[in-house]
Amino acid sequence: MGAMFDIDVVVPYLPDLASGLWVTFRLGVISVVLGVVLGLLLALARLSGTRLLAWPAYLYIELFRTTPPLVQIIWFYYGLPPLTGIELDPFGAAALALGLNIAAFFAEIFRAGVEAVPATQWQAAKVLGLGRLDTLRSVILPQAARLVLAPTGTTVIYLVKGTALASAIGAPELLRVGQLVALETFRPVEVLTVIAVAYFVLTYPIALAFMALEKRVARARA
Amino acid sequence: MTGELLLSVRQLVKRYGSTTVLDGVDLDVAAGSALVIIGPSGSGKSTLLRCIARLEPIAAGTIMLDGKFVASSERVGQAQAVAAHDIGMVFQSFNLFPHLTVLDNLTLAPRRVLGLGRAEAEARARDLLAVVGLAEKAEAYPAKLSGGQQQRAAIARALMMRPRLMLFDEVTSALDPELVGEVLKVMRTLSREGMTMLVVTHEMGFARDVADDVVFMDHGRVVERGPPDQLFAAPQEPRTRAFLSRLLGRDGDE
Ligand SMILES: Nc1ncnc2c1ncn2[C@@H]1O[C@H](COP(=O)(O)OP(=O)(O)O)[C@@H](O)[C@H]1O
Ligand SMILES: [Mg+2]
Repeated sequence: MGAMFDIDVVVPYLPDLASGLWVTFRLGVISVVLGVVLGLLLALARLSGTRLLAWPAYLYIELFRTTPPLVQIIWFYYGLPPLTGIELDPFGAAALALGLNIAAFFAEIFRAGVEAVPATQWQAAKVLGLGRLDTLRSVILPQAARLVLAPTGTTVIYLVKGTALASAIGAPELLRVGQLVALETFRPVEVLTVIAVAYFVLTYPIALAFMALEKRVARARA
Repeated sequence: MTGELLLSVRQLVKRYGSTTVLDGVDLDVAAGSALVIIGPSGSGKSTLLRCIARLEPIAAGTIMLDGKFVASSERVGQAQAVAAHDIGMVFQSFNLFPHLTVLDNLTLAPRRVLGLGRAEAEARARDLLAVVGLAEKAEAYPAKLSGGQQQRAAIARALMMRPRLMLFDEVTSALDPELVGEVLKVMRTLSREGMTMLVVTHEMGFARDVADDVVFMDHGRVVERGPPDQLFAAPQEPRTRAFLSRLLGRDGDE
């Protein structure tokens, strides 16, 4: 092993790492979209006041919140085919598992957000004749959205970094590619340094975007 | 001033758990009249308004608005249900939608519930904002307004639905004293123009000037009702007398 830290050895592999970054990006986007949509539905089911909806949602959330995402990824890759006949490639299995997992966290964030909007807002809407769905859509959710902005941003960043877990089943994302490059070059420290920077480059703009959103919202209603 | 019967409350009972908060309330309100409800804190005034606004389920009794039922513990023959927006309510804490401009606060429900187009809803909103003296504030967010302005916007928002009955629950109690007058002025105008109103308030001057009748409530019951001159000058019930003397800072009025 070389005694000196020599970042140049990584340069020939940058195109490979870039393609890994691209896979990581797509994995992140797909699971966030899946997670937000499903999370919102789960939150609404829990808030519906209908046991038939609230209970399954509650079970789902606790199941996915309390088991490690790595276990879920491996399970969806190896466990789904024999049980259901549905076979997914590593990317598909990881996207599905991560999306379903993060949906449970989004659901709890969104539920807390909706519950944090004062009950008087529901009452004001009701005496104007607005129905439950109209009230939810136009009065409650926009206010809840402002409240959940910060925790949602944190969760998105957490998830994008968490896509690295997909390396365990061989999805060709950033960490997986990095591991292969490290094996080839015998320079794990240099490779991982480059990878860390790449994750930062991917996630920091997300942090900035959410901060900007929060500022805009604060200005709009002041 | 008093027309035909608009609102009738019959033997209304409301309980929270084992506590009976409204204990057989009867109340008639004639179309076009203004009724002021007074009574000690905890006597059930807010609960009565909230039951009429259908914000609370009732345990027994019937509430009817012009022959249509608002709430009832029994089936009421063939009577139709009243439309939710026929009864407007204004709250002590304004409850404007903070994420919407004043204009959007006013137009949201008419567009969704009455199916008004944007232009029509905005025209109606600007007219009403002018009436309550907020023509300049249409584009402002609620947080930019004073309490008095917010409450006037809330009144305008309720009027957008053209309700047949307006409920006011201590709408000036959260306001700085110097802002009370501007809100009461709007309510006076509204009453003069023939709006039927049920007003819970501690503003005795307003009750004297505007109310056709004043109702005194205690322990979930209507104790006494009469025109303001009569009820304030010569209350018949000892409880009314005791309450008024406490409120007006006199010991007995004899
Ligand atoms: N949501 C509630 N749960 C339990 N008790 C309530 C609730 N709302 C009101 N009450 C009780 O009902 C009684 C009447 O309250 P309220 O109608 O607010 O009186 P008022 O408006 O005349 O001051 C009070 O004793 C109050 O504690
Ligand atoms: Mg009250």
